[in-house]
Amino acid sequence: MSGEEKRPSSDVLGKPGGLYDSVHMTRRQANWMAMAAIALLVAVTALVVIFGRSGFTVSFDPNGGTDVAPCQVQYGDTVPAPDPPTREGYAFTGWYRDDNGSEPWDMAADTVTDSLTLYAGWEKTS
Amino acid sequence: MTGYFKRKAEEYRTLDQADKRRFWVDGLLNNALYILMAAFIIFTAVVNKNFLSASSIANVVILAAASLPMALGIGGCIVLTGTDLSGGRVFGLTAAMAAAFLQNRMATKLIFERLPSTTGPWIFAVLVLVMLVGAIIGLVNGFFVAKFSLHPFIVTLATQLITYGVILMFFQINGNGGGPISNVAQEFKNVVSGPVIKIASKNVSIPWYVIYAFLLVIVMWFVWNKTTFGKNMFAVGSNAEAARVSGVNVFKTTVMVHTLAGALYGFAGFVEAARLGSITASTGLNNECDAIAACVIGGVSFVGGTGNIGGIVVGVFVLRIIFVALNMLGINPNLQFIIKGAIILAACSLDMRKYLVRK
Repeated sequence: MSGEEKRPSSDVLGKPGGLYDSVHMTRRQANWMAMAAIALLVAVTALVVIFGRSGFTVSFDPNGGTDVAPCQVQYGDTVPAPDPPTREGYAFTGWYRDDNGSEPWDMAADTVTDSLTLYAGWEKTS
Repeated sequence: MTGYFKRKAEEYRTLDQADKRRFWVDGLLNNALYILMAAFIIFTAVVNKNFLSASSIANVVILAAASLPMALGIGGCIVLTGTDLSGGRVFGLTAAMAAAFLQNRMATKLIFERLPSTTGPWIFAVLVLVMLVGAIIGLVNGFFVAKFSLHPFIVTLATQLITYGVILMFFQINGNGGGPISNVAQEFKNVVSGPVIKIASKNVSIPWYVIYAFLLVIVMWFVWNKTTFGKNMFAVGSNAEAARVSGVNVFKTTVMVHTLAGALYGFAGFVEAARLGSITASTGLNNECDAIAACVIGGVSFVGGTGNIGGIVVGVFVLRIIFVALNMLGINPNLQFIIKGAIILAACSLDMRKYLVRK
């Protein structure tokens, strides 16, 4: 680049066309604008990630018993055991991944990786 | 490839101090969104191991396929230095129409009682119908933009409101009272959102509309790059006056771009009806913002006359990856709008800076 072609760093840019047709700003201003927008994006994302993690919803399907309220669990945490539901003529056997009670959910060891529904298991007593 | 980098390195060495700094600042700012996204992906993958699993990647592809048609449509409007704010509502209207026309005939609550049974020809007829409805709204947009040189922001804002009114009335048909339109016929679901590839061991199932979106990308690539219409579109976008002087029919091109966009929203709505199976009056709200953001991220600039189909596909994927990642982090879905807004602001600022500096 020769001496005549080189522009000073505060040169006025502008008239790129389209929606930006009426824009006039220096290179320094354009850089500031871009960096301000990036800073806003990073700040907003960081705030949302830090304070907005409501976690995954764990719903409980009583499978014929009394209702159990759903709860919010963070990724990698175990599900806090709710008060067990009751059902006339049945005994509660625990929570299961499927509604016919073949895949048990271990409240102490199994961790949450996504929103899920747990189904109550029942054993006939009378 | 090595020759290219060697030449670039030679060029770089000849620059003086100020230009070297510019080189780095330009490079960093022009790619800032991709750099930030890479950091965000790594962060998410560290926090949630499932993010890079096969089912999560398939989920990104599926969501991207669902939002591609709208972005491909709106891309043309942005190439013309315009935009289309009516997209989301057209999408909602056509989704509601497709759902209503293709309800399970056996259902107890029907929007339209006397319709043919939901066989192949009728499903195809509904597809043509909803694309036609979208195209007509697009035609209105295009006509007012091209004929009276009204700014697309104004025209499409007006049609957005008009379309929303039509949507609200549509949900009142046959005593529906604004409730959701559900009970979509299984035959319709089978051909649109039914699985085409299934890997049970990995919990992955790819629906048909991913294939349709892929075909649509090929068709749109052909339209943009290989047809006179596509070339005229770029000519009008970069300089309408110059295009007019060199014999391009600016009116016809503008109207056609908006009409094509409308037809693509219709297609997207058709897919959405099968995908969700239940459409409400708020379906499609703000969808055009996602599509616009995807286009701008993908390099379809508001400066006009620039952009390509590949960029739009990349932009759609970038946006979907971010939203799947937010979901995987367990972020409240309501907060995603805040990030969406910040992404649009950042993408447009970076885009404007890029074209200001290039001059």
